[in-house]
Amino acid sequence: MKDAGVHLRGIKKSFGAIDVIRGVDMDIQRGQFAVFVGPSGCGKSTLLRMIAGLEDTSDGQIAIGDRDVTHEDPADRGVAMVFQSYALYPHLSVYENMAFSLRLAKRPKAEVDEKVREAAGILQLVEHLDKKPAQLSGGQRQRVAIGRAIVRAPEVFLFDEPLSNLDAELRVQMRLELARLHKALGATMIYVTHDQVEAMTLADTIFVLQGGYVQQSGAPLDLYDDPSNRFVAGFIGSPSMNFLDATVSGHGDNGVTATLTGQPDISFDIPLVDKPAHGARIALGMRPEHLQVTEGQGLRVTVDVAEELGGVSYQHGTLDGGEPVIFQQTGARHGMHGTIQTVTPDPGRIFVFDAEGDRIR
Amino acid sequence: MSIPKRRRRELRASFLMTAPFLFIFIVFFLYPTFSVIALSFTDAPLIGEGQWIGLDNYAKLLNDRLFYTSLWNNLYFVLLTVIPTTVIALLIALAVSRLKGRMQALVLTLFFLPYVLPVSVVTMIWAWMLDFQFGILQPLIAAITGKPVPVFKNPYWVMPMIAVVTIWWTNGFNVLLLIAGLRNIPPDLYEAAALDGATPWQRFWRVTWPLLWPITALVLTLQLILQLKLFDQVYLLSNGGPFNQSYVVLMQMYREAFQLNNGGYASAIAMVLFLFIVIVSVLQFQLLRIGGRK
Repeated sequence: MKDAGVHLRGIKKSFGAIDVIRGVDMDIQRGQFAVFVGPSGCGKSTLLRMIAGLEDTSDGQIAIGDRDVTHEDPADRGVAMVFQSYALYPHLSVYENMAFSLRLAKRPKAEVDEKVREAAGILQLVEHLDKKPAQLSGGQRQRVAIGRAIVRAPEVFLFDEPLSNLDAELRVQMRLELARLHKALGATMIYVTHDQVEAMTLADTIFVLQGGYVQQSGAPLDLYDDPSNRFVAGFIGSPSMNFLDATVSGHGDNGVTATLTGQPDISFDIPLVDKPAHGARIALGMRPEHLQVTEGQGLRVTVDVAEELGGVSYQHGTLDGGEPVIFQQTGARHGMHGTIQTVTPDPGRIFVFDAEGDRIR
Repeated sequence: MSIPKRRRRELRASFLMTAPFLFIFIVFFLYPTFSVIALSFTDAPLIGEGQWIGLDNYAKLLNDRLFYTSLWNNLYFVLLTVIPTTVIALLIALAVSRLKGRMQALVLTLFFLPYVLPVSVVTMIWAWMLDFQFGILQPLIAAITGKPVPVFKNPYWVMPMIAVVTIWWTNGFNVLLLIAGLRNIPPDLYEAAALDGATPWQRFWRVTWPLLWPITALVLTLQLILQLKLFDQVYLLSNGGPFNQSYVVLMQMYREAFQLNNGGYASAIAMVLFLFIVIVSVLQFQLLRIGGRK
């Protein structure tokens, strides 16, 4: 049995009349770290809970490895889940929390002890085994929840926004620990988050979910470099991509000329294979980091807020027509607040989307 | 504004707000309590002064065989009610908590309804239902025992039947407390337990029961105190009979005070019952806490 990945086929889920998941296919290979990312209400947590067996599947098939587990009990699926709230048993010690599943399975004492201590060793919890969850910090509780999953040695680990209850510093630290843990265990992991930075840093494969569909899946940088629609383009990348409405005003040999709506003096030549018709309304996407301040022609941005982060700074402003634009500067102390700056996008870094939001390449 | 001035203002406001309660508490609770303590050392009648007789009332009580009968009946009643009502309330709470939304509210209301009835109405309902000649429950009793039973005039039936009436009457409140306790258990824990492979039975014993234990202990303690104070139902249903089989401590106190005009002796009975309830309930609560910590 070489394949122990997770495979979904035509998965649907409705709560009454509301369709939450409207047909999802995905293949997560064995040992991959897959991340479901999307805005709240996109169905990512529901999808994870369906894989765990905590929600019934309305339609479709879920397979883990070679087994169809669509209608199996949660305990028989070979998955372990780490909850956002940690879901530790408050009346049990750390040791008993981690031993819980083995105790239920009536495993020999020596085996329980060995597995719990091994997991506690990996997670640096050895000194805390006798404590109750209430005596632990947030990060330690999170590790106990992970330890409880490790002890079960599942084929698939499921994480439901595990870091969102931690403070920012601890979140970064736990993110690294999770990445190391994934390398050390080599198990298949599925991770749900609304934080695209977590998604980008942890994932082998990202699934961007929205409206009950997978909008796009792939390696983090593939999604960043080559988003297949406007939603993915706007969701991946921080701060998010600038979108400017434009009209196709001319055709060239290997591209089109697009003129900004409401600003006929600004136009860009964009290389495209699939050229939209003359006069078609399109949207141009430009990432903040691909806009450069220039002395020549370009977008005139009135900067009203400057976020100086030290290493980089984000200049928030508006175009003459009122469209919001963000551009990034390396370093700080540019003193651009209140000034008008002219910026121009890097050539070849303009994404084009049609009126429906689909990418035009 | 200077700090002392602000503190004085706060003190004045807090005194004004607690004053009505303090007044009522002192006049209607504290003063009578001390009066009863003082009365228990005298041979006073119900109204009027009495002679100081020291511990004579207590000495007399310790040699009063009726007092031991009453105390025994009290304990028998506690045995018949406290644990059964808690178990029944827990079963109902577990069932009701599975219902959703309005259905849950409706069923909970139905179970709570008897609790809002005054004791006189409760006993009237049950006295009629169990009436020897016309009671609608007599055919049921006849089906089990072979013949109708005048339950409140039968020495073996009287206490268990008063227990049934009491459980029916007060159970709704316990259900409410336990439902609140069950709602406090995060649903995540059940999901985690399901993933860990726990059967419904294991989920109850390893998650619900230990986490509900503080509430269960509270219900048990409240019930113990309440059931030791048994009086109304006995007074209205059997008046202590037959053959003193439902004679309880408060019944004896009532009779000594209001029928035999022995205010001092009745006060002594009240004091002993009070101390008994304090000791037993503190003891029980401590035992339950130790049980829960394990």
